[in-house]
This record gives sequence, structure tokens and C-alpha cells, in this order.
Amino acid sequence: MQELKALIKAGDYESAWQRLLVLTESLVDYTALSALCRIRKKLGESCARPGSRREVRVAVLGGASTELLEGPLQLVMEAQGLDVVMRCSDYNTFAEEILDPTSGTISFKPDVVLLITTAANMPRWPGFGDNLDMVNGIVEEVCDYWLRLCERLHETTSCEIILDNFHAMPSRPTGNLAAKAPWTQNNFLMRVNLRLGEKAPSYVHISDVAQLANQYGVRHWHDARYWFHAKQPVSFTCLLPYVRNSARMVGALYGCAAKCLVLDLDNTLWGGVVGDDGIEGIRIGQGEAVGEAFRAFQEYILTLKQRGVMLAVCSKNEEANALAPFNELPDMVLRRDDFVAFVANWDSKPDNIVTIASQLNIGLNALVFVDDNPAERDHVRQRLPEVRVLELSDDPADYPRLLDDMGYFETLSLSVEDQVRTQQYQENVKRSQLQETAGDYQDYLKSLDQRAVVRPFEKKHLERITQLINKSNQFNLTTLRLSRSQVESMMCDDDYVTAYVRLVDRFGDNGLICVFAGKHVSDVLHIEIWLMSCRVLKRNVEMLLLKHVVAVSRERGIATLRGVYRPTPKNGLVKSLYPTLGFTLLEEAEDEAQKYDLAIDDYTASLLPIEVVDEY
Amino acid sequence: MQQDLIWEKLIETFRDVFDEPELIVQSQTTAKDVLDWDSLTHIQLLVALEQVFDVRFNTGEVAGLSDVGAMVELIETKLA
Repeated sequence: MQELKALIKAGDYESAWQRLLVLTESLVDYTALSALCRIRKKLGESCARPGSRREVRVAVLGGASTELLEGPLQLVMEAQGLDVVMRCSDYNTFAEEILDPTSGTISFKPDVVLLITTAANMPRWPGFGDNLDMVNGIVEEVCDYWLRLCERLHETTSCEIILDNFHAMPSRPTGNLAAKAPWTQNNFLMRVNLRLGEKAPSYVHISDVAQLANQYGVRHWHDARYWFHAKQPVSFTCLLPYVRNSARMVGALYGCAAKCLVLDLDNTLWGGVVGDDGIEGIRIGQGEAVGEAFRAFQEYILTLKQRGVMLAVCSKNEEANALAPFNELPDMVLRRDDFVAFVANWDSKPDNIVTIASQLNIGLNALVFVDDNPAERDHVRQRLPEVRVLELSDDPADYPRLLDDMGYFETLSLSVEDQVRTQQYQENVKRSQLQETAGDYQDYLKSLDQRAVVRPFEKKHLERITQLINKSNQFNLTTLRLSRSQVESMMCDDDYVTAYVRLVDRFGDNGLICVFAGKHVSDVLHIEIWLMSCRVLKRNVEMLLLKHVVAVSRERGIATLRGVYRPTPKNGLVKSLYPTLGFTLLEEAEDEAQKYDLAIDDYTASLLPIEVVDEY
Repeated sequence: MQQDLIWEKLIETFRDVFDEPELIVQSQTTAKDVLDWDSLTHIQLLVALEQVFDVRFNTGEVAGLSDVGAMVELIETKLA
């Protein structure tokens, strides 16, 4: 932090911003957080944050006091890579702000609303001694109360909503009766939380405060003094976890979540050094304390992989030694094929990490690095400030919790793609290997035996389509982010020409990997979305899509396709896509966006190494 | 802890919370005398003082501390 202050004093604002945000990402206590918030305020006054990012309009509505949360929320969200414009409402005005169509919140046109409420805002509680049926009735009523408010908010602003659920009360006057009696406070709150989880529509994302408060202990989470004094919903010891949790959810909405966990091996996944101790000497499982702790960490990591996080190894070892435990030890939970990349050599870790990122075609900020060696962690932090480096303690029993607390991989929904992601990346490796042996590139493409399904948006693919729209950064011409309901509207709007592409080849199913949407206005199709997963670059998918769009446009009497390329720091890849496909540059706008036109009559289809099928 | 040391650490905490390295803090200083000392920074101040001195203010104290002199006395009592 001293370094940060020095940078500001020296007037090096750009480096100061970078340092500030890197520090924020790895924060662990409130005092440091408030200090950084003060610094951020001052820095913001001297110099706006450099670079351009997705701007997110966040409205904070509180049933509790939100003033002490605002600065921290803004800072932690910014540290994820978002530009945040925030508006906070007065204490306990959430209902008016939602229901009054002329309210400040509605006029603010938020993209996301954080609804910060506590059990004190519960509109109704069961009566003393109410039976199960009566309690369930009240649970429904209460859930409808909250969800109708969300619905109203969503209808008037199309925003996404992050709704806090309800942690247990800090005391239990009914004692253990609460475990059995549905009318007791804590029993009722548990039922409300469950029901909210069941009934919440796709635009309402539940911030699981109940679970967080459990982990920290309600007694630590809730500070009665500050509640009574100022209606502060969370204690200062737990303020950072609370803020980080909400910020991660907003980040997940806008593609900021990390995608790949890069792991060291020795003393990170097992106890000991395999090169020195041999596979008999390392500690994993086997009913021994340290071994069991590492085993538990592997189990935690396996769950991450199962829900779509990619795993990579980056270890300083002879490859054979590094692989041996995976192949030979039954107590290992993770296996070689759980990893999309396995790098064991004596090169520098930052260099290896850069290689891993480029192999997977993801940005450095999508990587999380975990290594027990503080020198290695420091080296990576210095060389690659974009990579998120987890600070570990000296006790492997802490590792799952430490990784958990940072919430790097927060996700708001699970798609089929998430569950097979590792497998898909491994199939990609096989494709690369084939390419190396095939001679001519076109021969390689033909030998892939590619088949594609190209269709307008369909309800069953909405989840994945929305996910791609919000996650794709590189092959993305406009970087237009939309909520699921906005995508749904596009799907149902006859003025829109929409398309998705699913691609399979002889190595496997690549899944849904391309999304297109254009608006038909008189005889022009204005391309609003064109993006593709980087996994399928250079397979002629974009040409296939163009062929399809031209055919559909011809049928609709469209004469011209108009595309726009909005440059961002991440999409340089598609700078020349339009010219390559035969479009002509129309104009270069003030904000550097470039407009291109293609006359349908000028388009000539070519033979492509992809067969279009109805299904596969 | 000696009163001098309490004053020293308290003034440092004030200067940190208000980001005013030259801030003058005296026994009769109240919220009215310091720019930015509102209900928000008041809470931040209390949280910081609790951490610096490893003491705990109760609900009445959190709501009712009048001037800085009273704060110092309270901290001294708690540390005794």
C-alpha cells in the first residue's frame, strides 16, 4: 500500500490504478479495504480509470443500511474488470423505488440491482404454534412478495437482480425446538430460502447470504451493536466477504469470472516433493492427517472441474515424476485426464502460464494460480499482474476454504457445456495433433469431417447462447452484452434474424459455438451480434454462418448486410473479419467503430469443409 | 497504556480515517469541527479504534461518544 501511495504522489496515475485494483483483488481485511476505498476516491478525483471496459449500471436498494457498503462494492466490482456507475437509494426505500415508475432507481436504468435485505424486512412471520400447512402458506406469500417486487423491477428496467437471502437469527429462544417446529423463526427462514431458490426466475440471482453467514458464524456475521445503531446488515469483520460475494455475482454476469485453475503439484496437491521423496514418500490420503487434507483439496478441485472450470498443472519437475502419482497412486482424486494442460518442466512459471493461456485461447485474467511457494507466487504476481494469484497459508487444511473465499469461479448458471468443457478442450488437443500431421490445411479441415447445425435461436439453447454473449471477448465484433430475457425477446421478434451454430467433428461435439443476431430494417440487415468461441477458430465456421445469413436474407428481401466492428482491448482478432469476408469499409466512426457493407448480390458462396445437417 | 500513547495512536487513527495527515485533534474536538466527520465516518472511526486498541465499544458507547476527550477516557478505562 505504501507503494501505491508513492505512485499517486509521483503522479503515475495509470500504474496507481493498476496497483490499486490488483491489491483489491487479493484483500483479506476490512481496514485495508476502507483504506483502499479512501485512496480510490482520491485517485478517482485526480484521474479517471484508464482503458475502456464494459460499463455496468448498478443500483443498490436496501432494506438495511447500505452506505458503508457502497464504496467497497464499487471498488471490488471495479477490481474485477468492470466500470461501475452506481446509484444508491436511501435507507429502506426499496419498495417505493421499485413500485414508483418515476423513482430515481427506475430513471437510472440499472443493468443490475442489488437488493440488500434482511429478516427485519420480512413482511410476515408465522404465528406462534402455526402448523406446517399454515407455515407453508406464509412461506409462499412471503416468496411471492419478494419475487413480485423483482418482477416489477425487471419489467420496468429489464435489469438482472441480485437478491440476498436470509441468514439465521443470532439467538434462538425456542432452542432445539426450531429443528422440528416450522413456525419458529429459523425454521421458517430456512423454508423461505429454499422456496426462493426454487421459484426465482432466471433474472433473479440469489446471493446466498444464509450460507455465507453459516460459514463465518451468524455471531460474527451479525454485529448487534451496529445493527441497533445504524441498521448495518453485516459486521465489519464480514463486510469484505459479503461485498466480494455480491461483486463476484455481478462479475459473473459480465464475463469476469476466471475460467482456468493453474495448479502447482508439490505441497499444493500432495504433501512432499515427488522428485525427492518418490511416489512412496509423498503424502496423499492414506488415513494420515496431512495426506487427508490434500485429498480433501483435490476433491474440492474435482468439483470445480465438474462444473466447468478448466484445470491445468504448472510444476517444476521432470514430467515423468510429475505424472507418476496420477498414474500410480490410488489415493489421488485427480487424474491426468482431469487436466486440459499439464506442464512439468524447469522453465519459469510465468512463461509456462503464458503458454497455457495461449494454448487454451483465454486471457491471462481468466487464470487463477495456486502454488504453496511464496517465491513462485510473487514471481507470477510481478511478471503477470493480470493473473489472479491465491495467497495460501502454511496449512493444506485451509486450502479449499481460501480458494472458496475468493470466489474466482462464480457462475450464475450451469449449462451442459460447462459439464463437458474439459472433455471438449482435450478433444481440441487431438485436433491440433491431427493438424500437425495433415499436410495441406484444407485437407486437414476435410479430414475433420465437420458437421454443423445452423438454426435461429431456440428456447432450449437460450442458456448457452446467453452465456456465450456475456462471456466471449475475443471473437466478438460488437461485445454487446444482453440478459437472458433480452435474448429471449430477440428470439421472438420477427424483425430479427438470429442464428446459432453447433459443430461436431470426428473427435467430438464442440457444442454451440457461434451466435449471430441482426435486425432487419427496410432492406438492410444490421448485424448486432456476431461472436464465436475461440475453440473453433479457422474452421471456416464464420464463412458457413455468412453463407447461411445471406441465404436467409435473400429470402427476406434484404439487399445489404451491414456490420460494425467495435474495437476493444480484447477483440483485435476480428479487426479484419469483415474485409476478409468481402465486406467494404463504409466509415470509421468517432468512437473508432468501423462500419462495413456487403451487397447480397455481390456475395459468392464457396464450397466449405463443413456439412450442414438437421441434427447430429 | 499511558494516556500519551493513547493520544498518539488515536490521532494517527483519526488522520488515517480522514486521510488528513495534518489533522489537529484535541480533547474538545467533536464531529462539527472536522470536515467529513459524519455518521458514516464515525462508524469507520470506531471500527478502526477498536482494532488499533483491541477494545470493544458497547452499543451505548457506539451511539453516544460526544467528543474526542470522552473517547480517550473510555479507551483508557477499557485498557486498564
